[in-house]
Amino acid sequence: MSWYLVRRLLLTLPVLFFVSLIVFSLINLIPGDPARVMLGEEASKEALSALRKEMGLDRPMHVRYLLWLSHVARGDFGRSVRDGRAVLDTLLLKLPVTIELAITSLLVAWIIAIPAGVVAAWKQRTALDYAATTAALAGISIPNFWLGIMMIYLLAVNLRLLPPSGYIEPWIDPVRNLKLMVMPSIVLGTALAALVMRLLRSSMLEVLGTDYIRTARAKGLGDAVVLVRHAMKNAMIPVVTVMGLQLSGLLGGAVITETIFAVPGLGRLTVESILTRDYPMVQGVVLFAALAVVLTNLAVDVMYAVLDPRIRLGARTG
Amino acid sequence: MSRFAADLPVDVVRLRHRAAGMRRYGFGYLLHRYARNRLALVGLWVVLGIVAVALFASWVAPASPIKPDFGNLLRSPSAAHPMGTDDLGRDVLSRVIFGARTALLAGVLSVGIAVLAGLPLGLLSGYYGGRLDDLLMRLTDAMLSFPFLVLALALAAVLGAGLDKALLAIGIVFTPRFIRLARAQVLGEREQNYVEAARAMGVGDGRIIWRHILPNSVSPIVVQASLDMAGAITAEATLSFLGLGTQPPTPSWGSMLNIAQAYLGTAPWMAVWPGLAIFITVLALNLLGDGLREALDPRLR
Amino acid sequence: MKRALWIFILIGALAVTSVSAAPQRGGTLRVGLNADPPNMDPHQSTAAVDRQVFQNLYDKLVDINQNLEIVPMLATSWQITDGGRTYTFKLRQGVVFHDGTPFNADAVKFNFERMLDKSFGSPRFNEVSLVTSVTAVDPYTVRITLEKPYSPFLAVLSDRAGMMVSPAAAQKAGKGLAREPVGTGPYKFVEKRPQERIVLERFDQHWDKNGGFVDRIIYRPFTDENARLANLRAGELDVIDQVAPADIPKLRTDPVLRLLERSGLEWQGMWIMVAGPPFNNKLLRQALNATIDRRTLVNVVFGETAVPANGPFPPALFTYDVPANSRIPERNVDLARQRLRDAGMPNGFSFTLKITPGRVAQQVAQVIQSMAADAGIKVNIEIVEFGAILSQGDAHKFEAILLGWSGRPDPDGNIYGDFITDGGLNFSAYSNPRVDTLLDAARILTTRDQRRRAYGDVMNILNDELPYLFLYWPKQYKVLGPKLQGFVHISDGMMRFRNTWLTP
Repeated sequence: MSWYLVRRLLLTLPVLFFVSLIVFSLINLIPGDPARVMLGEEASKEALSALRKEMGLDRPMHVRYLLWLSHVARGDFGRSVRDGRAVLDTLLLKLPVTIELAITSLLVAWIIAIPAGVVAAWKQRTALDYAATTAALAGISIPNFWLGIMMIYLLAVNLRLLPPSGYIEPWIDPVRNLKLMVMPSIVLGTALAALVMRLLRSSMLEVLGTDYIRTARAKGLGDAVVLVRHAMKNAMIPVVTVMGLQLSGLLGGAVITETIFAVPGLGRLTVESILTRDYPMVQGVVLFAALAVVLTNLAVDVMYAVLDPRIRLGARTG
Repeated sequence: MSRFAADLPVDVVRLRHRAAGMRRYGFGYLLHRYARNRLALVGLWVVLGIVAVALFASWVAPASPIKPDFGNLLRSPSAAHPMGTDDLGRDVLSRVIFGARTALLAGVLSVGIAVLAGLPLGLLSGYYGGRLDDLLMRLTDAMLSFPFLVLALALAAVLGAGLDKALLAIGIVFTPRFIRLARAQVLGEREQNYVEAARAMGVGDGRIIWRHILPNSVSPIVVQASLDMAGAITAEATLSFLGLGTQPPTPSWGSMLNIAQAYLGTAPWMAVWPGLAIFITVLALNLLGDGLREALDPRLR
Repeated sequence: MKRALWIFILIGALAVTSVSAAPQRGGTLRVGLNADPPNMDPHQSTAAVDRQVFQNLYDKLVDINQNLEIVPMLATSWQITDGGRTYTFKLRQGVVFHDGTPFNADAVKFNFERMLDKSFGSPRFNEVSLVTSVTAVDPYTVRITLEKPYSPFLAVLSDRAGMMVSPAAAQKAGKGLAREPVGTGPYKFVEKRPQERIVLERFDQHWDKNGGFVDRIIYRPFTDENARLANLRAGELDVIDQVAPADIPKLRTDPVLRLLERSGLEWQGMWIMVAGPPFNNKLLRQALNATIDRRTLVNVVFGETAVPANGPFPPALFTYDVPANSRIPERNVDLARQRLRDAGMPNGFSFTLKITPGRVAQQVAQVIQSMAADAGIKVNIEIVEFGAILSQGDAHKFEAILLGWSGRPDPDGNIYGDFITDGGLNFSAYSNPRVDTLLDAARILTTRDQRRRAYGDVMNILNDELPYLFLYWPKQYKVLGPKLQGFVHISDGMMRFRNTWLTP
C-alpha cells in the first residue's frame, strides 16, 4: 500500500510541473503590455520602462519562470496589476464565496441526481427511465449562461420573486444571502446533476446486475432496503471517484455563473482578470483551479487505496 | 464542457469491441441498430436540418444578418420578423440562421484541430511507449487538470480576439482527450496477434499503425468527436458571450446573447432565440453521439 | 377615481421631496457604480471610476460647482501673480488627515513632490509637470511657481492632481497607499473587497461640521446596467451612476425613483492614424467623415442619452458655442464619393477599426460600418482589450480606434494632450505647427473670449484635417432612490456626498 502511495505521489510531481509550466507560458504570451495596463493612458515613458524593469519583464523567459516558481512555492503569487493587492490575499478572500456556491450547487445537484439516477436504473427502460435520461441530456445540453439569463428574466425581471444578481455574506444577511444564491446554485447545480445522474444510473445498473444484489433480493429483502443499503452504497463509489471531475466542472461552471449573477467569487475573478489582462491574477486563479483538481484527484485515489485493498496491487494510475 | 458532456470519457474498452462489430455485421446493421433508438434518430435529423440551414443560409434567411435597419429597432416578433429585430434593427431570425454557420464551423474546426493533433500524438505515444509516452501522459494529465472553460478562456485571451483564435483555443483544450483515446486504442491493439504477426513479417511500424491500428480506432474517435462537437459549440458560444470569440458584425449565438443581456427588460426575444438555437443544436448532437455510442457498443444492446 | 388617485400620488411625491428641508444624521448610503474601482491613491489612479470614491475620501485644493466655476475647498483663497506663473494659496486651518497628520503647507509641498517624482511614476505627472517649485511661505500659505502661464491650472487642481494624501501615510505605505488610502475627506476608508464593495465611514474630525450626515457609504460595482437599476428598484441601493438608454423614458415618469440628467464633459469618437496608409490621405478621412450620420448614430445607440458631436467641447463647457465645435455636419454620401474619386479610389477602400470590448462600442462600430459601406468604404471591426488598445494607440500601430475621453472641467483638458504634436494622448500622430501654437496660446490667454477664439481657430483646422472624428457627447445620469436628499449633480458626474443625507 505504501508503495502505491509513493508511486501515486511521485506521479503527481511531473503533473504539477507541467501545470506550472502551462500556467506560466500561457500568461507570458498574452498580448498587451502589463506595465501599460498598470499605469494607464496617462503614464509617462520613463515610468513605463521603470515598471517593466521592476516586474522583470526585461529578463529571459526561463529566468522569469524559475523566479516565478520559487515565489509561488513560497506562497507568493505576486501582486495584482490592477489594484496592487497580493494575489493570494484576493484568492483567499474570494474562495469562501465560491465554496458556498459550490456547496449549494452540489446540494442541488445531488438532490436532483441521486433519486433520479436510482429510479432510472431501478426502473430501467420504463417511461420514468427515459424521462430521467432525456432530462439529464437536456441538462447537459442547455448552455449555462442562457439558463442564467432566462432565469433572471423570468424570476427577477418579470415575476420579481428573486433579486437578479449580487452577493452578501451569510453572516451579514443570511436570508438575502440565500435568496441571492438560489438562481446561481440552480444554474450550476443542474449541469452537475446531469453528470452525476448519468454516472449513478450506469453504476447502479452494474451493481443491480451483480449476484450480490440478486441474493439480497432473493432473501426477500424489500426493494427500498436493497436499494438504499446495498445497491446505492456501492453505486455511489464511482460518483465519489469523479469528485475531481465534479470539482473541475464546478470551477469551470462558476466562471459563467458568477459572471452572470455578479457573485464575487473565484469564477468572476477569473473572467475579470482575463478581460482586464491582470497577468498575475490570471496566473493565480488558473493555477489555483488546477491545483485544486490535482489535489482532489490525489486525495480520492489515496482514499481509495486505503479503503480498497485491490487497488494497491492494481495499476490505477494518474 | 461548459456543461459536462465532453468531460465524460468514451469508454474505450467497450468501444474497441466495435471493430469486430463493424466487420461482423457491416454498416447496414449498425445503421439499423442506430435507427432503433428513436431519440438518436431525432437527433440525427435535427443535426442534418441544422447543417442544411447553415449551408443554405443565404437562401433560407429572409433578410441580411448584418445590415442594420435604423427604422426598425427592437421590434417585437411579427409576420415580417418572426423572431423580432435586434438593437440595430436586424432580423433576429436571419441572424439565428447565419449563426448556425458560425456554430457548426466552431464545432467542426475545433474538434478537427483536436483530432488532427491528438490522434497522431496518441498513436505514436501508445505504439512506442517509453519516455515520450510518459512525458505526453503527464502533459495530458496536467492539461486535464484545468477546468475546461478556465483553460479555454485563458488560451483565447492569449491568442487574442477572433473566431479563428477562439476555435484554436477550444481545439487545444480538447486535444488531450484524443491523445488519451488514441493511445488506449493502440495499447489494446498492439499486443493483438495480427499485429505481432505483421511485425514478425517485417511490416514497418508506420504501415502497422496506418493499416491496422488506425482503422480500428475510428469508431471511438467518431463518438468522442460528435460529443465534443456539442461541447465545442457551447464553448464557442460561451467565449463569444464573454466577448472573446466572434467579432461583430458576424452573427454568433453567443455574442447575440451578450448584447441581448442589456435588453432583457425591453426586448427579451433577443435572448430567447439564440439561446434556444444553441440548446437544440447541442442537444441534437448529444443525442447523435449517445446513439452512436450505443450502436457501436455491443454491451448496451 | 383614477384622477383622484393620480392627484394623491402627486401630492405624495411632492411631500416626499419637500421633506428634504432639514438634513438628518445617520444611516448607510449605498451607491451602485458601473465598475469596480481598482486604485484608491489619486496619485496612482488611472481608472475614471476611482474618482467617484475619491470625492468623499479626499478633499481637493479647490473644487468646482454646478456651473463649473472654481470654488474653495482646502484652499480658502488664492492669488495669481507674475503673469499667471505664480499661484499663492491660503490654506484652510484646523484640517487633519484621517490618520491625525495635520494638513498644512508642508503637506501640499509633499503631495506635489510625490506627483512630480519620476521614480514614483505618477499618472498625474503630465498634469502638474509645469510646476517648478512649491514653497511653504508659512504653515498655511503655499506658493506654487509654474514654468510658464497655464490658465487651466486651478481646474486641474479640482481633480485628482489637487487631492491631498497624508504625507505620513504615503511615506510609510508608498504605493501601498492604493490599498490603505488616507485623505482629509469627510469619509475615511474602512475596507475594500475587490469586485464586491468599498466601505467608507464618517470622519468625525472633518473641517466641515455642517457635512458628513450619513454614517457610512458603501460602494458596490455592477457592470450590468440592468442589475444596477434592478437593485436600486429593490431598495438595495440609494443612488446609481449611469443608466441604459432604454430605461430613460420609464424613469422620467417613475413615481419613486428620481432621474437626474446633465450635460457631461466627455467626448467620444474615432481616432484616425494620419501617419500611415490609408488615412495619411486627408481626402479619405474626409470621405469617411461624410458618410457618417451622427444624428442617426446617436438615435440608434443612445436615444436621448447622448448628443451628436463635432468637437471636444460638450455643451457644459464655455467653449461649446465655438461654431466648428457645435455645428453638426450632415451626412453627404455624394461628397464622400467625390472625395474618394479625388483620392483616386472611386471604388472605396477598407480599413480596420479597433474597438474596446463592450456593447456600446460594438453598436457604434457596426452603425459606422454600415454607413461607410454606402460609399464603398469597408470597415473591419476588431475588438481589442483596453490595455492593449492603449499601447497600440500610443505606438500609432492602428488605422482607426474607437475611443474617447472622460473630459475635464477646463476646455484645455479636453483638447491639449490629444492634438498637440507628440501629446500624451495624441494617438493619431497628428502634428500641425499652427495648432500647436494656438493650443499653447490658449493656455496663456486668460479671458474666456480670447480662449474661445483660439479654440475656434483650432477647431476650424481639426475639422478640415480630421485626425479625429468627434461623434457624440454622452450625457451624465444619476438615479436616486427615495431616501437620498441634498444631492447636487455636477457635469463631471462625480458624486459628492458631503452634504447629502438620508431620510429614514
